[in-house]
Amino acid sequence: MSPSFSGRSFSRGRRPRLAAESHQSNLGRKHRPDYALLILMSLLLVVGAVVVYAIGPGLTNGKNLPENYFSSKQLTAIGLGIVGFIFASWLPLESWKRWQAPLILLAAVVALAVRYIGEEINGAHRWIQVGGFSFQAAELVKLALVIWLADFLTSRRIEGKMGSPDTLKWLGAVVATIVVVVAGLQSDFGSAAVMMAVIGLTALVAGLPLRRLLLVGAAVFLLGTIAIVSTPYRRDRVATFLNPEADCQTEGYQACQAIITVGSGGLFGKGLGRSVQAYGYLPEPANDSIFAIVAEKFGFVGASSVLIVFWLLFRRIATIARQAPTDYTRLLVTGVLIWLSAQMIINVGAMIGLLPLKGITLPFVSYGGTSIIFVMIAMGIVFQISRYTDLSASRKSQSERSDRTNTIRFQRGTL
Amino acid sequence: MDSHPFTSSIRRINVMYLLLVGVVVLFGLRLFYLQVIRHNYYEKQALTSQLKQYEIPADRGSIYAYDGDEIVPLVLNETRYRIVADPELVDDSAQTAIALSGVIGRSAEDIQKQLEADSRYEILANKQTKEVKEKIDNLKLPGIFTNEKVPQRVYIQGAIAGQILGFVNDAGEGNYGIEQFFDDDLNGTPGRVKALTDKNNVPLLATSDNVLIDPIDGEDIVLTLDVAMQRQLEAILAQGLKNAISKSGSAIILDARNGAVKAMANYPTYDPAKFSSVEDPKVFNNASVSEPLEPGSVMKTLTAAAALDTGSVGADQTYFDPSFFRVDDATVRNIEEDGGAATRSVSDILQFSLNTGATWLLMQMGGGELNEQGRKTWYDYMTNHYNFGSPTGIEQGFEAEGIIPSPTEGFGLNIRYANTAFGQGMTVTPLQMAAAVTAAVNGGTYYRPTLISGTLDSDGSLRANKPDIKHAGVVKESTSKTLVRYMDNVVEKNNRPAAREGYRVGGKTGTAEIANPEGGYYEDKFNGTYVGYVGGDTPEYVIMVRVDEPKVAGYAGSRAAGPIFASLSNMLIDNFTVSRKSN
Repeated sequence: MSPSFSGRSFSRGRRPRLAAESHQSNLGRKHRPDYALLILMSLLLVVGAVVVYAIGPGLTNGKNLPENYFSSKQLTAIGLGIVGFIFASWLPLESWKRWQAPLILLAAVVALAVRYIGEEINGAHRWIQVGGFSFQAAELVKLALVIWLADFLTSRRIEGKMGSPDTLKWLGAVVATIVVVVAGLQSDFGSAAVMMAVIGLTALVAGLPLRRLLLVGAAVFLLGTIAIVSTPYRRDRVATFLNPEADCQTEGYQACQAIITVGSGGLFGKGLGRSVQAYGYLPEPANDSIFAIVAEKFGFVGASSVLIVFWLLFRRIATIARQAPTDYTRLLVTGVLIWLSAQMIINVGAMIGLLPLKGITLPFVSYGGTSIIFVMIAMGIVFQISRYTDLSASRKSQSERSDRTNTIRFQRGTL
Repeated sequence: MDSHPFTSSIRRINVMYLLLVGVVVLFGLRLFYLQVIRHNYYEKQALTSQLKQYEIPADRGSIYAYDGDEIVPLVLNETRYRIVADPELVDDSAQTAIALSGVIGRSAEDIQKQLEADSRYEILANKQTKEVKEKIDNLKLPGIFTNEKVPQRVYIQGAIAGQILGFVNDAGEGNYGIEQFFDDDLNGTPGRVKALTDKNNVPLLATSDNVLIDPIDGEDIVLTLDVAMQRQLEAILAQGLKNAISKSGSAIILDARNGAVKAMANYPTYDPAKFSSVEDPKVFNNASVSEPLEPGSVMKTLTAAAALDTGSVGADQTYFDPSFFRVDDATVRNIEEDGGAATRSVSDILQFSLNTGATWLLMQMGGGELNEQGRKTWYDYMTNHYNFGSPTGIEQGFEAEGIIPSPTEGFGLNIRYANTAFGQGMTVTPLQMAAAVTAAVNGGTYYRPTLISGTLDSDGSLRANKPDIKHAGVVKESTSKTLVRYMDNVVEKNNRPAAREGYRVGGKTGTAEIANPEGGYYEDKFNGTYVGYVGGDTPEYVIMVRVDEPKVAGYAGSRAAGPIFASLSNMLIDNFTVSRKSN
């Protein structure tokens, strides 16, 4: 199946084959964007803002800060995120392509600089202080990566070199750079994992033969293992993951407390103002651990609702990816989908004891300005592309059964 | 299958999306398992760390005393800090030890040993000041904790009244003295908290089912002591003992009008602020209440009062003193210069301190001879009137009762009782003696001697204790007046330095033989005692002095204890309020 396609078969495609394809001009007719994206994103932002506000006293306890310190920073970040979202949904995609080289350069410089001018928190160098805000370098790298990948993979497809060793060399070089810079220098294994997922899965969607990907995957696994074994701090985390309850007092503390926090929430939760675990028991309650606090406050009903909102959001994004007007836009949307979903899975998985702790934010919900701003910029791009989706393509591929007259209306409501 | 690249991409997106849905469903199931099926387990786990039940310690009460009429603090609390380490959390024990060594003043090696100990709680230093605590906080040393508060007693007036006060040990328990006697009252009632708390044990306001009982702080106790009088008495006692070449002794000033202890000290003593450096724990005891002694001739005042009170002798009665009595197989002699056989008055018995006179008084209580009737009468006075043989009830620990021999049981009762008439063969504490003499000279009221004036209200006003009258009518008013006349005369004739124009100063010496634990008495060891009073028309302060085994030449009572009494009585007249005689 998929490995069989080649440059020749691609010639049957409906898209122009020009290497310097002008994406914007080929997007087709503009229509109403997918406003459901806005609603679902806003729901997650509101949940995050409300929870950060509610645990404000616990966060600022003993820190000589006003109780709404974190809450107002969160709102500022959301405000900047809205600006970023509007900008990204307005800026012609052509411009992203034109500016991608400087963007990648900037991301590379920042990613390297953070090691030297960044501040160290818990043994990791991930943040640069910019005017009272901590800038998390990896978030910029993720955005740059998604934009670069879409362009790179599109041109590979056009040139028919998707399965060629050259493509793999390129991807391998990027993966190696990420392993060295993000996982190695910044000790940000979580973000590195998200980036790997973005590279591997976007390449797969772009048509990379599965066997090749598995090959690269094996190499990454090897590198990852080396990275883990070489750093005591990550070795601890993996050991902790394998058996967190064995060492609840020290290494496994956060993992144990996360599960306790989730479990103590019960069916309906303790209520918005009644979280106890946020008061010093669970580390990073606003940040990496916010999902556990949501689960404590709102119970199974609330936590699974948040999961459902994520699912609905991913469903919309997947639909937009499917109906994307061009390869470039499809890969762009796919990249964002993988970024957000991988990050959600790694974050929530850690809180419920299914994955090791990685120190990564829950998109839209976690406190953390950089993450919010960049995922909202990414959403802006997806929102823009949702104006150009090719409804007929989708209909053709999967909605044969549906009533023709209702198809367009139902399009966004079904798969 | 269609191998069209475009549809292939969509198929791969579909597969990916389905996997994603699978993960979300798995997460949902896991959430259901954790939050619904295992909820009770995790709720319990959460509560074990969140729900705290602990005591809030109450503030220990302060101790106050008088400076004239003003109430002044004597012992207050200050918060100090304990510096502890959790060796498991210490990063670099060598560096940490060096950093701490400069601040807490211990050798770095010792500290490092503790930091490498196989425990999770090592006390590095106790009772550190806030300054030290903050310095250590600023070092930000992992594994070093400074938040454990330790209350510390501070002694505002310096090292006075140590043996009366006692001290508070490192466990917060009162030891000796007032601190031990009133440990419960001073401690107060700790509060109780049962609450969901944050990590630092601060109860969370958001939860309504908290139990919070505020601690009731300990009582603030006001002592009867006058700090200036106490300080001067301690200085006079120390100097007097030095002059008398004695290693130890005691002095007490009682208010004759209510039994309040105005000053009381023993030598040697200690500084309660430095209780931990005391080598001999005996020094913690308040010897004035805990160490009975054979009082010697000071007892004759009470023998005379008993004989007068029972009507066995008249106030100005005279008798022929043969200068010795054969009693059973023993002889009662006068050990102080007595001038030989002569006709004596009752007043002379005190002035010349006649053992034979005291024996004669006891004979009169028996109707003219040493017999059971006399012994029983005297025993009744000693135990029921003067309250010997039982504790006074002073608010101090380890109070001794003293020993009064039975009038009816045992051998050689007559000679034994003849001895008690001049203060041998029986024991009392200096405080028992002072309290009994107070009753005998103040008109006959035995006040329970007390160190407590009252307690302070929350607004700082005094809730005064009433004087506690233990026996009224210890002796008749007339008896008391006669005894005062006799004792005035003793000072007038024998202790000129104590006599003061316009004031009433009376007293009596005692030179007591010291019982040898192997039987009999030491030939060359005596205790000097002196009991007396100062006042105007009536005695106002009773003073009791005891000097152990002075090496100064002459009789211990007059050469060692007498001068200390004189210094104290003059000190009272010069520096404190003593009424003048009205005529």
